Amino acid sequence: MEHTGMWGHMETGSGYWNVFMWFVFFAIVSGFVLWFRSFGRMDYKRNTEQDEMFLSGWSGSEVPADGAKAAAPGSASYWGFNVALEPVYNVLKRFHNGSASDYAGYFVVTTALIGILLLF
Amino acid sequence: MTDSIAENALDFVGNAPYVVVALLVLMSLYAMLTQKNLIKICIAISILGASVNMFLVLMGYRHGGGIPIHYLKGAQESMVLPTPQCLTLTAIVIALATTALMLSLVIMVNKHYGTLDIDEIRRLRG
Amino acid sequence: MNVRDHLPAFLVMVPLLGSFLSPVAVSFGKTVRNVFFVAFAALTLLAGAAICVATFGGNILVYVMGGESFALTMPSGMSYPVRILFEIDAFGAVFIFCVSAAAFAGALFSVNYMERFSGWKRFMPLYFLLTAGALGMCATGDMFNFFVFAELASIASFGLTAFWRDKPEAVEAGFKYMFVSQIAAMLLLIATGALYGKYNAVNMGFLASVMESGTMERVVLALIISVTAFRCGAFPMHTHMTDACAEAPCGVTCLLVTVSQASFYGLVRVCYSIFPNLAGGGTVGWLLIVMGSMSMIFGVMMAVIQHDIKRLMGYHSVSQAGYLLTAMGVGLLALGRGGGMEGYGLASIKGGLFHAMNYSFCNGLLFLCAGSLYYATGTRGLDKMGGLARNMPWTAAMFVVAAAGISGLPPFNGFVSKWMIFGSGFAVHPILPALGMVTSVLALASFVKVFQAAFLGPPRAKLIAAREAPYGMLAGMGLLAVLILLLTLFPGWFMGNVFDNAAEALLRPQDYIRAAMGGR
Repeated sequence: MEHTGMWGHMETGSGYWNVFMWFVFFAIVSGFVLWFRSFGRMDYKRNTEQDEMFLSGWSGSEVPADGAKAAAPGSASYWGFNVALEPVYNVLKRFHNGSASDYAGYFVVTTALIGILLLF
Repeated sequence: MTDSIAENALDFVGNAPYVVVALLVLMSLYAMLTQKNLIKICIAISILGASVNMFLVLMGYRHGGGIPIHYLKGAQESMVLPTPQCLTLTAIVIALATTALMLSLVIMVNKHYGTLDIDEIRRLRG
Repeated sequence: MNVRDHLPAFLVMVPLLGSFLSPVAVSFGKTVRNVFFVAFAALTLLAGAAICVATFGGNILVYVMGGESFALTMPSGMSYPVRILFEIDAFGAVFIFCVSAAAFAGALFSVNYMERFSGWKRFMPLYFLLTAGALGMCATGDMFNFFVFAELASIASFGLTAFWRDKPEAVEAGFKYMFVSQIAAMLLLIATGALYGKYNAVNMGFLASVMESGTMERVVLALIISVTAFRCGAFPMHTHMTDACAEAPCGVTCLLVTVSQASFYGLVRVCYSIFPNLAGGGTVGWLLIVMGSMSMIFGVMMAVIQHDIKRLMGYHSVSQAGYLLTAMGVGLLALGRGGGMEGYGLASIKGGLFHAMNYSFCNGLLFLCAGSLYYATGTRGLDKMGGLARNMPWTAAMFVVAAAGISGLPPFNGFVSKWMIFGSGFAVHPILPALGMVTSVLALASFVKVFQAAFLGPPRAKLIAAREAPYGMLAGMGLLAVLILLLTLFPGWFMGNVFDNAAEALLRPQDYIRAAMGGR
């Protein structure tokens, strides 16, 4: 209760947490970002061919108008992660096999295991 | 000797309801985990509910206890309180509601999937 | 009559009244229906918030149903309480506030979201019954009523999960949820009956005062832990959560998350207040930690590969429930060990409570955002969405707030609560913070995936006509977003006034017992 004057501040048991320090941090970092950005190239011009789209090998008017043809679908994300962990995912998918009797079995077996653990 | 045999027999009779409860619970769990027909699973759940109600009533019984109405029974050592019976009534009502809802869900499942086999109702997986 | 004394009764009375009046309100037309829905949900939130405020400073509210006086727990010289009573301490109040806030947000959201559908005469009563059940679970002072309220909440949630009964998946999810949940309910009833058989009472406070640690108590504790862990979605028993979360209407899913919290409340109450001797032995602590860690890691791993936006968030709920279980397990272990570990235990419990509130608001908001996307596009498949941030800027912004909040990006609230949990988890075993870190990273990865797939990318021809959600839905989402931002900006206030008291209430079972026994 001693921190009622500083609502953004709290003790976490292994240190302290202050939100407003983060805001100061973000302000400093964005200052640096803007400063670095000012070193960037100044030769960009609007409404020239510099504005033309370039997407996955298509350029300019070749880019399809419908985004559905150009976008990577959500299920393509983390493809490498899925392939690398395929053995694990096969087990996990077999576990979630959709059979209600299996689900009831998991519950009953877990209950029995907890009971055995607590009894002995 | 004969007395102790009689007492043992009485003890066994006294414990018989617990054995029945345990058997019913195990039977219904076995049915739930092995049967594939949805209606049979509903029956198993009803049996589980019934056995739990029986367990509640049993737990409320006190050996040699009288009715909990002081004026009718007079002074007494122990009473069988009506609490577990009230709990049982509540549990029966809840079991009735769940059985009705479950059967109606089974009807809807049958309409959509055209089957009562629990292994064929698994569009939600993974 | 002092309203403050009767708050616990109002808490359950308001949603129950709303539930039984709502068919009448629906028949008076659309405006009356909407006003009624929002007004009763707002009254519930008011009662919940008032109770939360009333427990500041460690007060315990006790309310006896059907007695001569609301505060008389043991009338005419009884030696233990026999009446039905509500007992709310600072710990329960945290969950009551979560449930009532989520119920109000979900109601605001559903006013517009459910507008296209018929069946309001069935939707509204079930919605209020679900609210009443979840609030009752957090408020009740006896084991049997915990079962009754849990059943009330479960039956309402089966009905709401299968609410769109023309969808095969919804009916399937409802049936599966119900099947396993009924076994669980019956096991809880067996545990209650066994406690009655030995101790002649079902009152939690009284049971806590006379509890021994025999064989029967161990079996009962195992049954209760298993059932409540099942309902809050611990790993090997979480499968119903994802199905139900995916198929229920989105306004309801927001509430389902907090219903699982209510059963988490039951788990913690039983472990800390009723069976402190048995649960403090170390086995239960490790059990909760193992279940929690498995939920965390496997839940989030399954979330990463989902293509269905609501199913993905359902797996996230499982993984966040794992954090809560781990936090409470660490608390039990550290407090049971003693020898200077108590500080870690207390920090872990506080972090767990903080995370419980973060979880219910952030995941509720995520589900509402998913509902907003579904409302605009008519699909839940991530592959069919894209470029929606232009059409739906508010939804996109609130999705970012919720995702950053729950995956623990500083400066958001999720970082603090996870830090508190794993800072003390490190003292128990160094693998716990590592697991937590991996889980957080994967959670962030899956939200990045959702954000990239749904909101970013080139606009799609099919979704050109997608519009921002109507004001009612935005209001519901905005309420939760504001709560998340408040938790982010003023964690010190919440910690000092809410979570500190709640954790201390949890660690003083003797106060809980004394309040149940009429202050003696």
